[in-house]
Amino acid sequence: MSAEVEQPQIPIVKKKPNCFVGFANLPNQVHRKSIKKGFQFTLMVVGESGLGKSTLINTLFNTSVYPNKEHLEAEEPPKTIKIETITTNLEENGIKLKLNVIDTPGFGDFVNNETSWKPILEEIETRFDLYLEQENKVNRKKIVDERVHACLYFIAPTGHSLKPLDIEFMKRLHHRVNLIPVIAKSDLLTEEEVAGFKARIMEDISYNKIQIYRPPIYENDDPETLQENKEIVLRMPFAVVGCDKEIEMKKKKVRGRQYPWGIIDVDNEDHCDFIKLRQMLIRTHMEELREYTNEVLYENYRSNKLIASGNEFGDGGNPLARFEEEKRAHEAKMTKMEAEMKMVFQQKVQEKKNKLMQSDADLHARHKEMKEKLVNQRRELEETKRQLESGARPGTPEKSRKGKGYFK
Amino acid sequence: MSSPNNFIGIANLPNQRHKIVSRKGAHFTIMVVGESGAGKTTFINTLFAALMREYQNEEKRFQKQLERTVEIEIIRAEIEEKGFNVQLTIIDTPGFGDYVNNSDCWVPIVEFIDEQHLNYMKQERKANRRNIDDMRVHACLYFIQPTGHTLKPLDIEVMKQLGSRVNLIPVISKADTITRADLTAFKNRILDCIKFHNINVFCPPIQSDDEDTTRRNTAIANAMPYAVIGSEQDVVTPDGRRVKGRQYLWGVAEVENEEHCDFKKLRNLLIRTHMDSLISTTEEVHYEDYRANRLTKEGRTDDDPQVRKLFDAKMKEEEDALRKRFTEQVRTEESKFRKWEQELIDERDRLNKDLEAEHSAVQALKAEIEALKSPVQARSPRK
Repeated sequence: MSAEVEQPQIPIVKKKPNCFVGFANLPNQVHRKSIKKGFQFTLMVVGESGLGKSTLINTLFNTSVYPNKEHLEAEEPPKTIKIETITTNLEENGIKLKLNVIDTPGFGDFVNNETSWKPILEEIETRFDLYLEQENKVNRKKIVDERVHACLYFIAPTGHSLKPLDIEFMKRLHHRVNLIPVIAKSDLLTEEEVAGFKARIMEDISYNKIQIYRPPIYENDDPETLQENKEIVLRMPFAVVGCDKEIEMKKKKVRGRQYPWGIIDVDNEDHCDFIKLRQMLIRTHMEELREYTNEVLYENYRSNKLIASGNEFGDGGNPLARFEEEKRAHEAKMTKMEAEMKMVFQQKVQEKKNKLMQSDADLHARHKEMKEKLVNQRRELEETKRQLESGARPGTPEKSRKGKGYFK
Repeated sequence: MSSPNNFIGIANLPNQRHKIVSRKGAHFTIMVVGESGAGKTTFINTLFAALMREYQNEEKRFQKQLERTVEIEIIRAEIEEKGFNVQLTIIDTPGFGDYVNNSDCWVPIVEFIDEQHLNYMKQERKANRRNIDDMRVHACLYFIQPTGHTLKPLDIEVMKQLGSRVNLIPVISKADTITRADLTAFKNRILDCIKFHNINVFCPPIQSDDEDTTRRNTAIANAMPYAVIGSEQDVVTPDGRRVKGRQYLWGVAEVENEEHCDFKKLRNLLIRTHMDSLISTTEEVHYEDYRANRLTKEGRTDDDPQVRKLFDAKMKEEEDALRKRFTEQVRTEESKFRKWEQELIDERDRLNKDLEAEHSAVQALKAEIEALKSPVQARSPRK
């Protein structure tokens, strides 16, 4: 196969049709098709327990994505970070969305949280790998995208600045996922505290060169969109309050939390940034988040991986080649195993052989020695006997009383 | 299925998609195949309402008779319409069907289509996939001469080859030379022929949630093969309208009049209503088929769990066989040793018996000597 097929360089001419041809209809065609096909989104939520992750998700999608968790006191705290995925099918005005929410219970809940980010990064990369594997298959008709399109990171409302754990986590993950930091339970902070806290967080983020997701700016955006996006960026990191229960306020039902000093209304932009978060995450940038994941984050991951494995121009992980490789490895293992077994076997056989030959030799040697002794003794006795019979007085009769000399 | 009680924003998702596509623009590649003089160039220029392709010099047209090659000519253009950018690629195939012997004249065309797929495949496998040069053909217009009879053997052969690779759209060129009644009969004969020879032509999706759309889609699908009139000239109709058309002594054949020809339907199919469908069919069906075939030919199969299981089982089997072989060897060797040991024991017993015999002989002698000695001893005085 030739390495490269050179495309002839063909000049591109600019043409302006004399009348409406209809190309501008394509976005409408795509629009129509997307309604038919429906949408799909995978959202990851990370944060210490008790920061209101489930509540915020339920509030965002105005649905019980999460069933009410039973807080059993006796429950053993988990030893490791778990990865849990919940899939919900939502529909609004006939538009379908399949929403996967990935929860990571246990994050930051241990005494030592040094490697808390690890299982989460692994989860994100495993999902990339899974997609890559599907992409390399011969039959790709049933490809499913389970890549993480956005990660909501919950910052505890300490009012200080980012914790080392927060920084570590964001630094480790920002090249793999669209990070959206949120200040959880911001109703615990006063307006001034929120402002100061946000400023310090943004400082930490830029100091550590952490890349958080920002709405992209395109040159042909209309002024309205530009203004909208600017307002969104200004509110980052979003200070949010989650609440899925409705309370009555001024004869109106609102989603909020009632305190003796007043009611915080989730859907009031003066009270918190919930609206802005929802605006970006769902209403204006959900597809952009998916697009960025596919075109930038995934592509970077993929090309790094291929280059690292020396497969830069290769066939992208041919399963058959992998089989061959495994087969070779297996054969090598078998050969080694056989050689080892043979060596041990031969050694044992030799040892045994030597031992037996030795015993054989010993046996005969000892036999010979004893036989000689006995034969001598007999000869002497016979001599004595002859002398006695001939009447001569024998000398000192030999009283050889050596043991019987049998082999044992 | 849970249904939220107030507006979340999911309903905005199609608009977000719309925006993304509008921003990105599109790539569209169209190929025209047909004999010289079929009106390919005129059609292209009419369709895109711009002079996309200069006409060929009359003298040069049949110059290539001796070379007998079908050329592939590529024109690339950037069209902007209402802020929407299209990178348009037009592939022309001059020389097709222009020779006395036209057997295999379609080979370069088919090869070109395959090459575009292969080229994309190679680029797709690379680590860096930015700026992929995509020239996969999204639509291939095949120009049928307005003979009024039926498809020629060459048409059938070429359409068969093309239909299995691209979205093939048959077009009856210069439809203003056939009367309406003749045209209907001609179309029917062509359709019968397509059906009989199992030629794969592009069928636009018809079903839609909207009744009007469904009706329009049905009309488009039913108009195939599209009879077209091409003209870049504006002419004035007897009732005073300025239209694109061809002025005859007996009247004006209007390009954009649905009574006169199927140009509008074809334009809808190609651009206004089914361009996305053409693109996605090319990418999801034709390209995927090509890729799967090619990979299969390269000897690739999917790593499906069953194969994996078989493979693992085979490896385990081999290992077990090796172990068994060794156990067997050890056992034979052991029994050999056991035999040897037994022989040693037997030998020892034999030798012991020998010694014992010798010993008893010695004992017997001793007894005899004692017996011989005892009278002597009895005679000897006691101390």
